[in-house]
Amino acid sequence: MNAMTFTSPVPRRPSRLWPTIFTVLAALVILIAVGGLQISWADVPKIPENVAKYLGLMFAPPSWEKLPRALLEMWRSVSMAWLGAILCVVVSIPLGILAARGVGPAWLRVALRGIFAVIRAVPEVIIALILLTVTGLTPFTGMLALGIAGIGTQGKWVYEAIESAEAGAAEAVRAAGGTTAEVTRWALWPAVAPVLMSFALYRFEINIRTSAILGMVGAGGIGSMLTNYTQFREWDTVGMLLIVVVVVTMLIDMISGAVRRRIMEGARPRDLARSA
Amino acid sequence: MDTAWHVELDRVSVTYPNGTRALKDVSLRIDAGEMVSIVGLSGSGKSTLIRTINGLVRATDGTIAVGPHEVTSLHGRALRELRGHIGMIFQGFNLAERTDVYRNVLVGRFAHSPAWRNLLGIPSAQDRDVALAALESVGMLEKVWARGGALSGGQKQRVAIARALSQEPSIMLADEPVASLDPPTAHAVMSDLRRINQERGLTVMVNIHLMDLARQYTTRMIGLRAGEVVYDGPAKDATDADFEQIYGRPIQVRDQLGAAG
Amino acid sequence: MTAPAVAPRRELPPKPRNILRVALIVTVLVTLTVAACTPAIGGVEIDLASISKHWANGAKKLGQMMQPNFAFLPRTVAPMLETLQMAVVGAAIAAAISVPLTLWAAKPTNANSVTRGVVRTAVNVVRAVPDLVYASVLVAMVGVGVLPGLITLVLFDLGIIVKLVSEAIDSADHGYMEAGRAAGGSQFQINRVTALPQTLPLFANQWLYTLELNVRISAILGFVGAGGIGRILDERRNFYAYGDVSVIILEILVVVVLIEVLSNALRKRLA
Repeated sequence: MNAMTFTSPVPRRPSRLWPTIFTVLAALVILIAVGGLQISWADVPKIPENVAKYLGLMFAPPSWEKLPRALLEMWRSVSMAWLGAILCVVVSIPLGILAARGVGPAWLRVALRGIFAVIRAVPEVIIALILLTVTGLTPFTGMLALGIAGIGTQGKWVYEAIESAEAGAAEAVRAAGGTTAEVTRWALWPAVAPVLMSFALYRFEINIRTSAILGMVGAGGIGSMLTNYTQFREWDTVGMLLIVVVVVTMLIDMISGAVRRRIMEGARPRDLARSA
Repeated sequence: MDTAWHVELDRVSVTYPNGTRALKDVSLRIDAGEMVSIVGLSGSGKSTLIRTINGLVRATDGTIAVGPHEVTSLHGRALRELRGHIGMIFQGFNLAERTDVYRNVLVGRFAHSPAWRNLLGIPSAQDRDVALAALESVGMLEKVWARGGALSGGQKQRVAIARALSQEPSIMLADEPVASLDPPTAHAVMSDLRRINQERGLTVMVNIHLMDLARQYTTRMIGLRAGEVVYDGPAKDATDADFEQIYGRPIQVRDQLGAAG
Repeated sequence: MTAPAVAPRRELPPKPRNILRVALIVTVLVTLTVAACTPAIGGVEIDLASISKHWANGAKKLGQMMQPNFAFLPRTVAPMLETLQMAVVGAAIAAAISVPLTLWAAKPTNANSVTRGVVRTAVNVVRAVPDLVYASVLVAMVGVGVLPGLITLVLFDLGIIVKLVSEAIDSADHGYMEAGRAAGGSQFQINRVTALPQTLPLFANQWLYTLELNVRISAILGFVGAGGIGRILDERRNFYAYGDVSVIILEILVVVVLIEVLSNALRKRLA
């Protein structure tokens, strides 16, 4: 039989004061935030039924009448996203390289990183609105906005990737007597290229969503169709538009995700004889 | 724990979905209160064998009786209840590193505590007493509030033993419990297991690949090779030739642990 | 006994021919790009001429924006506060809901592949809708105000948290689960007592990240009437009061940077 009692004294539990204080503070902040919000709490219980009603109007059944036009506009948004991604990547790769430690002078590095941070903090919609005055309410504006707005995040990813690339390969090239250009070509580029390509595709995925948003403020594409039909309250068409957006976005996510995984994992090792 | 249980395997085979035949027609009987080592190389089926006993691996053929229960016929809740009576420790210790030792040991009380207690994190007084007593019996009470990840290998394994003991089990399974430990600690853990077997009369089954530890700490030895039993007899009487038969190759240095230092 | 002056020619193994694959990839990329530039089939019309014609316009607006009208600040305080409140409450609600959802979506914590698949698909669908689309549709459903913005934020945050944390759980080792199972624990017990503390840092990391994101996004949600500072931003822009617009943007910038700093500090403490 084993003893159920124990004889030694049990050590005291360590103080959990700080985590408790932190949790209480966080809860307080949240409660204050809730309290200050202007919500008519009486209306809240009616929401599920409201939402259900509209979901019914939208999807039971959706109206496929405007499908061809929706697909065309979706393609326009995708084009915006694609071209915007290309523009963004083309600009941010050289800038990001220059902003990496060990490449350019310190002042340039600081300046570039500062520019990236500012662009990152400004919402894409604002950038689009400024561009509107130059290029008008067109998808071109959307494309430019996507391209420029993405530089902030993309540039940051580029210099972070370069800085974390394996130092070993670079050292080997230098030890063999290589110049900076050769180090870049033979050590940095092979390590960093897959990562950069992966980021470029990811930027494309993000852009698909943002281009729909920009469309809503006038850049054209599926976003503008959405705003229009929501304002007209033609719910069955809105339902169809939502389906188009979701399906296309998920498809692109899947394909792009698969390609990105393939790039990062490298191609499967192939028999040398097979590819001759 | 009231009484220790026996274990009986009757023509047990395990074939994995990928076609590997891990156990082939194994029949064994282990009496209550025995301390048995299962010896063999990796791939011999030791891990599979020990996991069929608490149902972590399902047998494809044959039956397994553990005490008054028949493992192969149990599912869901009944299987979980059975597992509550079977303690198990692992080569990798399997502690929750970010949680304190106390809560790790309380894992052993899962089968005995209702869901609402777990949800709110309020163990019953009995759970607390059993867990602390188990910790004391392995000499780890002073570390009760330490984080699992902050302990050394030997300490982690002791906590794992306490976790198993807090289940108040009728049988104790150990899957390569000392493979990740240095020689002095390995000896300490093995002697802890032997002590538990002798003091509490608990049935203990230990998977081990080190010859000298098997000979020194267990009374009966079962040798497995390629999923079949090739040796079954008193551990002390096992000769080097017997081991070579079990391993299927000549004995090497790594098959012995060495002295306690 | 002459040493060979030149090394004997060796037969190299055949070089793997991926020229074909590279050519294929390049063709696809170029076709896509060209198609994207053709307005006739729904592409973008690249109107470089307009840039040269109207760049002065844009430069002028930029110039106006470089002169922020700080006198406007007091009027922005209340809407900014509303933005922050929405961000905090939205992140909090999303955090609470995200725990069970994430555990259902990850393989180690949910052995049932059917419910797992359902949760993951639902999350993927939710993630495929842009935030402003939610806001605009919700505004049409429940009316203008903070509520549609709040719901939008919760949906958006859930999409991010569940996806990222469940992927992290899937790719980590969970040896303690085998111990929990061997002791006779149910999946619920194992999750609540061991998996939750183990994964808490992953969760907290994403919760803070969504707080940051929320502040950025809720600034824009006001554009469609979903509350926050976006409404004033849009209003001022419509009046061409670019000095006001830029002071609002500056304010948003400052707040976002502050939250980013705070959140980074907290995340380092938790790691």
